[in-house]
Amino acid sequence: MAKKTYDLLFKLLLIGDSGVGKTCILFRFSDDAFTSTFISTIGIDFKIKTVELRGKKIKLQIWDTAGQERFHTITTSYYRGAMGIMLVYDITNEKSFENIVKWLRNIDEHANEDVEKMILGNKCDMTDKRVVSKERGEAIAVEHSIRFMETSAKSNINIERAFCELAEAILDKTSGREAAENPDRLVVDRRNNEKAPAYKSCCS
Amino acid sequence: MNTDPAMTSKSTTLSSLNSIPTISAAVSSSGLLGSVASDNDMRDGEISLNTIEIVQRKFKDNEKVLSIFEAYQIIGQEHRSRLLALVVSVAGGTYAVFSLATARLPPRNVNDLSIDKIFALNETFQIGSDKKGSISQLQFDLKTADEAAVKYFYYPIISAEGASDFETFHAQIISAKFSMTHSTAATESILSYSWLNDYRQIGEVKQELKRRENEYIVFKDFIVYCGTWNVNNKPYSDSPLHLWLSNGEQPADIYAIALQELDTSAKAITFSENRPDPMWISKMLSSLHKDGEYEELTSVRLVGMMLTIIIRKQLRPYIARCRVKTVARGVFNTLGNKGGVAVSIQLNEGNLCFVNSHLAAHMAFVEARNEDYAGIVRGLVFDDDLKRTINDHDHIFWIGDLNYRIEEPPGLQLPCNRASPNAYDVLMKYDQLRIEMGKGNCFDGYSEGRIKFRPTYKYDVGTDNFDSSEKQRAPAYCDRVLWKGVRIEQLAYNSIMEIRQSDHKPVYAIFRVKIKTKDEKRYKRIHEEVLKLVDKRENENQPQISVDKTVLDFGVVRFNELSVCDFTVSNNCPMPVEFMFKVKDPPLNDICEKWLQVEPRAETLMTDSTKRVRVKLLADVRSITGLLKKIRTTNWKFDFDILILHVKNGPDMFLTVTGEYKPSCFGLSVETLCRTNQPLNTYTQAQVKDLMNDDSPEFRVTMPREFFFLIDYLHKQGNKVEGAFETLEYKHARSLQFNVIRDWLDTWSSEEFPGTPQAAAEALLMLLDLPEKPLLDPFVEDLLQTNTAAEAMELISLLSSPRRNVFVHLCMFLRQGIERQYYNLQHVASVFGRILLRSTAHAGRDFYRETRCRDFMHRFISSDIGGTLSTGIADSSGISGVGGGANGGSSNGGGGGDGSNTARINAIN
Repeated sequence: MAKKTYDLLFKLLLIGDSGVGKTCILFRFSDDAFTSTFISTIGIDFKIKTVELRGKKIKLQIWDTAGQERFHTITTSYYRGAMGIMLVYDITNEKSFENIVKWLRNIDEHANEDVEKMILGNKCDMTDKRVVSKERGEAIAVEHSIRFMETSAKSNINIERAFCELAEAILDKTSGREAAENPDRLVVDRRNNEKAPAYKSCCS
Repeated sequence: MNTDPAMTSKSTTLSSLNSIPTISAAVSSSGLLGSVASDNDMRDGEISLNTIEIVQRKFKDNEKVLSIFEAYQIIGQEHRSRLLALVVSVAGGTYAVFSLATARLPPRNVNDLSIDKIFALNETFQIGSDKKGSISQLQFDLKTADEAAVKYFYYPIISAEGASDFETFHAQIISAKFSMTHSTAATESILSYSWLNDYRQIGEVKQELKRRENEYIVFKDFIVYCGTWNVNNKPYSDSPLHLWLSNGEQPADIYAIALQELDTSAKAITFSENRPDPMWISKMLSSLHKDGEYEELTSVRLVGMMLTIIIRKQLRPYIARCRVKTVARGVFNTLGNKGGVAVSIQLNEGNLCFVNSHLAAHMAFVEARNEDYAGIVRGLVFDDDLKRTINDHDHIFWIGDLNYRIEEPPGLQLPCNRASPNAYDVLMKYDQLRIEMGKGNCFDGYSEGRIKFRPTYKYDVGTDNFDSSEKQRAPAYCDRVLWKGVRIEQLAYNSIMEIRQSDHKPVYAIFRVKIKTKDEKRYKRIHEEVLKLVDKRENENQPQISVDKTVLDFGVVRFNELSVCDFTVSNNCPMPVEFMFKVKDPPLNDICEKWLQVEPRAETLMTDSTKRVRVKLLADVRSITGLLKKIRTTNWKFDFDILILHVKNGPDMFLTVTGEYKPSCFGLSVETLCRTNQPLNTYTQAQVKDLMNDDSPEFRVTMPREFFFLIDYLHKQGNKVEGAFETLEYKHARSLQFNVIRDWLDTWSSEEFPGTPQAAAEALLMLLDLPEKPLLDPFVEDLLQTNTAAEAMELISLLSSPRRNVFVHLCMFLRQGIERQYYNLQHVASVFGRILLRSTAHAGRDFYRETRCRDFMHRFISSDIGGTLSTGIADSSGISGVGGGANGGSSNGGGGGDGSNTARINAIN
């Protein structure tokens, strides 16, 4: 009995320094919940979530990786096979932002060449503790031609949007539609709160 | 296996059949079904449900779970719980056995259950219990033509409340199958298994959506207008069709217009004319209700029969499916002068079927008409995803010239008086169709509205007069509109006397049909909920394990000493879990580093069971080199390794193997050893790491003390060294005694050497052999190219001073031993050649290379080349000064030994 409940399966990966909130982002997206207790991920865990994009049911299999430095060598072996990578830093942690460059280099070395990337500046609800401005996040994204968004797993800001946008970028690629058709897709959207997203159907 | 074990199995006797409550009683008992329906209204949160009630929730209101049975399957090594449910569909009148996978046993709510397999209790269904050669008596097979045989096992004890024992369950299945095979003879056409399709070949999402249908389905009114007219081969042109097709207060949404005898010429019959007649269709389109905008959806024709479906234009987007099908029932059941044509459409969520049939003619041929009906029902299978039959639709309209006549009752004058209000009712008593329907011989389940019009056949063309020809055919209600299904209300049923082109009068009927329609807003919400639920279920059903620790701390780890660390893997999830350690990427290609051993490497864990995994750590001659390299090169606080514990279809866990390595001289380079100023056992792992990474040319001693101690000791043993330096097998290192020697060296002990000369010789070999690079690095390959000792000495003088000193000193020591015949020249040359000139490129043995290494060593240690060594040393001025060793000079100067060797050893400090 064929029981395929989806049209496409996308494998996504969450990477970034320890404590930036990768697991919380995933937990918010998959279970719509948040817990403030920090439990370090020691390994690789995944959750699935089905979204509907352009009438297609897309099953996202999202891999959450350990951020601790001692596991870096091991986690890079999971990059292969990922169709999209979320690179997460913490806007209250300068070091985690500086390391984005290191993570990007890691992606270049270990991931598929055509992997879709997105940078997330998480914990954007903690305005009083912010040390990395949104502009700096945007600048690094522009520099590397990567999508960028500030998110908050705690306040549920942009989480669903981020995943849907990444999934949509992969969908564009898989359905053979080239970015040339949609040139602004590669550019960071500075006023992304004003723009009505095209994936509204899934991201209420 | 028996060809039909169902009927011959030992447990099936007539008495057991009679003893169980008959299933047909359960089906027809509205009380039973009513109670089920009310159960379904309850919320899942209520706890008082027994297992059978939970299973019932997996099904629709008109599907009744009659009995459940606990079984399990063995898949691979796993036992998988299955609940088998015998289910009857009231609508389909058929039974099936569902095999349900359950996350827990007993299940706590409907979400624990998912449908694994379905066995329709059709004629191919078999339940067998062939126990030959089987491991358990408690097993049986289920199979049907669609579903390959599946073996089920069961325990003799029942744990779920309300479950049957095997004998009862088996008897019920057989009884159900028996009841159907016996009812098929009469009403074969009624049996439908299509309800099973709701559970088959569709994903969990659809199953779940179907189950929650009542939450988003609303019923929307649609007006369906059915017309039938036997046109008697007359042309379309001059008929005032609008009289027939534009009745009713409001415009119809769907027209189903059936014509018969469009063209019954021999030519049309022979060639099975199947092209719809466009002239008629355009005439129809121009004769419809004036307030609606219409378009033809489809037409289907078979010779004289044509069925045209016309819809309001705005309905078009809501028609999800449209199929046509024809069945010929004419001569030899192949010609199309009689038979049926049909259209199946899906409008919103409702399935509608329209049939136009022209059945066998003549007063006496009632049975032929019944057979035609049955033949059409049997033969009409639409070519859609589910191979729908007529009965697989929610709303069925059967229209056409059914040809049933009025039995002429004695004494009744026809035509009767139209003024009499009950005249038609009187006639209907003699209507063959009503009589046959009453007997259950045809149109089972169909309804017809009250007829308040004159018989529609047979008229003299152009008049309203019944047949005045010599045949004098009796008037009859040949042309009828019947319906079957739910939520259909007839609004009008009439004939049109004013249309006189044919010997039949046209008939029309108007219906209000409440059609299942998705409330888009509610549907979207529920669809999202269902997606979430299914995702949640999948996330929760991910195999999970837990470990009692993620850091395996071995504490103090020492060279050549086995350490053990155990941890426990537990399976607390409701399914068996396979775990294994993942093989890491090249160059390792193994689950762990060389100094570790993991047992077991893979295992299957049943629910609530645990497994102790043992990790052994041994840094010995095999692995110390790699371990020290890892210590030297790892940036992070040193971890001995990270194991990847993988759960099949689930997450990976990283287990960090850590500890504190207590440094030993073994495996360290001579440079590193020359940088120490205390015994190695006083260093920490971090300190020794710094020493290893120190590349300054400053050394504290000219050659490692540990090396010197061993040489000195051996030197003093004179001829007691028999067997030393003969092989490269480190057999002494395998005994615990060896670790005393290790400690003697690592503490710079002033005690007597705690072992045999042979053990000391082995320790010396290990000291030279275990470092990452051979002693003569980086000139190994260049040295092998040299032909004379003098040539080689030029390169040797370029080595780092500890290497050079160790080499020269070693050669002098060995030469003396050989001269005094303590050692065998060939063995020594071979063994030291392999060690000092070890290839760092390839690991396997290369005998040609070994010969060259031996020859090289031979040149340096054979006695005939006198002064080469001292010349070399003097030139490079590597050794100078005299002083006490760190051992307080106890071994320096070597009592009784040949002073020419030892005198050159000086501690710089």
